[in-house]
Amino acid sequence: MNPRGKRADVWHLVTFIGFAIVIVFLIYPLFDVFQYSFKDKETGELSLANWKEFFGRAYYMRAFWHSMSIALATTFFSMVLGIPLAFFTTRYKIKGSNLLTTLSVLALLSPTFIGAYSWITMLGRNGFLRNLLSSIGITLPPIYGALGIILADSLQYYPFISLMLAGSLMTIDRSLEEASENLGARATKTFFSVTMPLVLPSLTGGALIVFMMSLSNFGTPMIIGGNYLVLPTLAYNMFTSEIGESPGMASTVSIILMLCAAVVIMLQAWASSRRKYASMLVNRPIVKKLKGAKAFFAHLVCYLVVGLSTLPLGVIVYYSFRNTSGPVFKSGFSLNSYKQIFFDVPKTVANSFIYSLTAVVLIVLIGTLLGFVIARKRNLAVKLLDPLLMIPYIVPGTVLGIGFIVAFNRKPIFLTGTAVIMILTYFIRRLPYSVRSAASILKQIDPALEEAGINLGSPPGRTFRTVTLPLMQSGIISGAIMSWVTSMNELSASVLLYVGRTMTMPIKVYLSVADGYFGTASAMSTILLVVTGIAMFVVNKYFNRGSETFIAS
Amino acid sequence: MTSIKISGVEKRFGELLALSDINLAIEEGEFFTLLGPSGCGKTTLLRTIAGFYRQDRGDIWLGEELINDVPAYRRNTGMVFQNYAVFPHMTVYENVAYGLKVRKLPGKEIEKRVKSALKNVHLEGYEARTPDKLSGGQQQRVGLARAMAIEPRVLLFDEPLSNLDAKLRVEMRDEIRAVQKALGITAVYVTHDQEEALVISDRIAVVNFGKIQQVGPPWEIYKNPVNLFVATFVGKINALDVVLGEDLGSGLRRAQAGSLSFVVPSAGTENCTDAVLAFRPEEVVETTEAVKGSNRLSGTLVSTAFLGTVVSMELELGGSRIVIERHRPKKEDIPVAGDKVEFAVPPESCFIFDKRTGARLRTKEGR
Repeated sequence: MNPRGKRADVWHLVTFIGFAIVIVFLIYPLFDVFQYSFKDKETGELSLANWKEFFGRAYYMRAFWHSMSIALATTFFSMVLGIPLAFFTTRYKIKGSNLLTTLSVLALLSPTFIGAYSWITMLGRNGFLRNLLSSIGITLPPIYGALGIILADSLQYYPFISLMLAGSLMTIDRSLEEASENLGARATKTFFSVTMPLVLPSLTGGALIVFMMSLSNFGTPMIIGGNYLVLPTLAYNMFTSEIGESPGMASTVSIILMLCAAVVIMLQAWASSRRKYASMLVNRPIVKKLKGAKAFFAHLVCYLVVGLSTLPLGVIVYYSFRNTSGPVFKSGFSLNSYKQIFFDVPKTVANSFIYSLTAVVLIVLIGTLLGFVIARKRNLAVKLLDPLLMIPYIVPGTVLGIGFIVAFNRKPIFLTGTAVIMILTYFIRRLPYSVRSAASILKQIDPALEEAGINLGSPPGRTFRTVTLPLMQSGIISGAIMSWVTSMNELSASVLLYVGRTMTMPIKVYLSVADGYFGTASAMSTILLVVTGIAMFVVNKYFNRGSETFIAS
Repeated sequence: MTSIKISGVEKRFGELLALSDINLAIEEGEFFTLLGPSGCGKTTLLRTIAGFYRQDRGDIWLGEELINDVPAYRRNTGMVFQNYAVFPHMTVYENVAYGLKVRKLPGKEIEKRVKSALKNVHLEGYEARTPDKLSGGQQQRVGLARAMAIEPRVLLFDEPLSNLDAKLRVEMRDEIRAVQKALGITAVYVTHDQEEALVISDRIAVVNFGKIQQVGPPWEIYKNPVNLFVATFVGKINALDVVLGEDLGSGLRRAQAGSLSFVVPSAGTENCTDAVLAFRPEEVVETTEAVKGSNRLSGTLVSTAFLGTVVSMELELGGSRIVIERHRPKKEDIPVAGDKVEFAVPPESCFIFDKRTGARLRTKEGR
C-alpha cells in the first residue's frame, strides 16, 4: 500500500536508540530498586517487610514528614522572598535590577551544598556570624537541622519563583489593568482581581518546582541536616552505612520519594497546562518610578533578598583565599587552598571537566535527535517513548545512584567504579531537559521550512542538516552549557557511584567539609562557582537568552 | 513544461475523507487554480502533488511519469508557501541558490540562475540581505524566485498571498501571473479568494468537501455554475426558495416565492417543484430598460453601500433580503432607506437549482 512509509529511515533508528537508553539505563535499574524493596532481607523471598517497616516505624515515617515539612517550608519562604522581588523589579524602577537578576540566577545555579556549607561557616557551632552576634548578646538557635536546610534551600530556590513570576508579570497586557481601572476598580482591587489571577499559574508552577527541588535535594540536608534525616539522606544512609546496611529499605525509601516527585510533577504539568494567558504584547506594563520612602523600601527589599542569597557565595570565595595550614585557617590571605587542590587532587578537577564534557556531547547529540523525533514524528512508538524519556524528572539523584549500583554491579553490565558510570549518570539525569528543550525549539520552527527544503530537492537528512539544525543551533548550545553546569555540580547520584580514582569536585567538596578541610572545600567551590558564572555569562551574552533559559533547564 | 494528470485520487486522515475521487487533467503551461473554502481539501491535493502526502488510492502523473512513489525531494516541483518558508538563517542569495546547490550545479550556473530568478521577481540588489530585513511581500518574492530557480516541472502555490495586505496582494497576483506566462510553466494555485481565482486563472476547479464541484475557465464558473455551492461561493448571488408552477411556453415557467411571482427558464426543471431561484446583483436592470416578460419587482431599501463605480443596495422584498447593484450611479439617483426601489430581473439571468440536491437545472447542453 505505502512502500515509502515503511522504509526504515534514520529516525526509526533514533527512536530505537531512545528505547534502548530508556530500557537499559532507566527501567532496568529502577526495576531493580523496585525488586529490592519487595524482597526479604534474609530469605530473598517476595515480601512486604520493608514496606511494613517503613510505615510501622517512627524512624522512617519521621523522615517522610521531615521531607514534607522542609519542602513546604522552603516553598513558603521562597514565595516570601520571590514574590516581592519579582513584583518590585518588574513594576518599579529598581537601580541595578539586571545585576540583581544575575546574582539570583547565580545563587540558583550554584551547587546546592555550597550554600549549606557556607551557612555553617557563618552560623555553625563556631561560625563567625554567630560569634559576632553572641558578642553583642544575640543568641541564635542552632543551625544544624531543619532550620539550616530551610534557610539554605529557600535562599537557593527562591529565584524559581521570582524569575517565573517576573516573566509573566512582564507579559501581562497593560490594557487589562487599565480596563479594570477604567471600569472603576482601585489599584488594590485591580491587583487582586486582575493581575494576580493572570500570574497565578506561573506562581503555582514556580512553587511546585521549588517543592520538587527541595524534596529531592541531597547535598543541603547531608551537610547541614545533622541528625535531621529527610528521605534522600535516609535512603543514602540506609544504602551506605556499614552497620545495618539495608538496600531493600533504601529502595523502599527511594520508591516513596519517587512517588512524591511524580505527584508534584503531575501537579506541575497540570498547572503549566493552565498557563494559557499568552498575550499579544500590544502594551507592555509600565515601569513606575518611585520616590522617597517608597523607593527606599522597594530597593531595601530587593537588595536584602538578593544580598542574603549571594552572601553565602561571597563568604565561600572569601574563605578560599584565606591563609590555611592543613584544616586550620590562619590570619592573612594566601593561595594555599588552591595550591593544595592542584598539587593534591588535580585528577579530581580533571575528572569533573572530562566527565561533564563527555556527557554533554552525548546529551546534545542524542537529546537533539530524540527531540526532533518527538516534535516531528508523532507515530505510536514515539508517543510511547515521549513520557518514558521524562522519567528522570521524577528520579532524584540519590535514587538513580542506588539503581545504578545495584543494576550495574553484576552481569551482564559491569560498570561500577568506572568513569563510564559517572558519565552515564550525568547523561541520564540531563537527557530529558535536552530532549524537551530541543523539541520546544523545534515546535517554534515552521515545518514549512523543512518542506521547502525537501521540495527544492534536498533529501530529509540533508534538509535536517542544512535547514533545521542551523536554526536550532543557539538553543542547543545554550542548553548544552546549562547541562554542563549542572553536570559539573552533580553530587547526589555521583556520591554513591564514585571510587577514589573517579572522584569529582562536588564529591571532594562534600568530603572536605565532612573532614573539616574548609579551605580546600572553599577553593573547590569557588572554582565551581566561577565555572557556573562564566557559563551564565556566555549564555546571556552570546545567545541572547534571558533568564527563562536558566529556569527552563 | 509538464502536464499533470490526477486520476481517482483519494486521501483519508483517520475518519475524515479529505479527497474523494479526484480526477483532473492540467495542461502544459496552464495556470490552474484550486478554489474552495478552508478545509475543503484543496491544500491537501496540492501537498499530495508535491509529495508531502501519499494518496491512499489513485494515480498522479507529471507529464509521462507516474509519481505515486517518487519522494517529495525528487519530484522537482517548485512550491511557494503560504507563510513564505524563507530560510531565516540564509541570505536572499543563499535561499535562491539552495535548490541549485542540492542539484550540484556548477558555481557559474548557480550564479546565473539566481541572478535571473531574482531579476524575475524584481529583487536585484537584495542578494546579501537576510530575511528578517525584508517585508512580507519581499519574502514571498524570494520564495517565488527560489521555487523558479530550480526550473521545476510545475510551480505549486499554497495560498501565497493570504498573508499580505490587500494592495500588495493585487500587485503580487499580477506579477505571479506575468512571470508564469513568461516562463510558460505549469502552475497549480490554491486559494480561498474567489476574486483572486477569477483574475489569475486559466481554469479553476472549485472544491468542496474533498470533491471537485466544477472545472472550467473563470467565465464559465461565474456565468454558468453547475450547482448552488459554486454559484454562492464564486461571486455574489441572491437566492430565494421558490415553488415551480405552470409552464408558460416558449421555454419559460412560473416560479412562486411566497407572494412574489417570477418567470424563469423551464429547461431541465420538468421533474422539480421545490427549487432555489438565484440571480446575481449586477444582472438586474432598470424597469425602463426591461424587455417584455421580465420580472418587475419593487423592494424597500434597507441600506446602500457606495463602492465607487457601483452602488450596492440591500432591499427587503417579500420577506427576504436581496442585494442589487446599479452601475455608474448619479448622486441624485441614490435612494435613501425606506424608499421604494423598482427593478427587473430578466428571466434568462435566473439560475434554477434543485432545492434538494443543489444541482443546477438546465438543458444538457448548458444554458
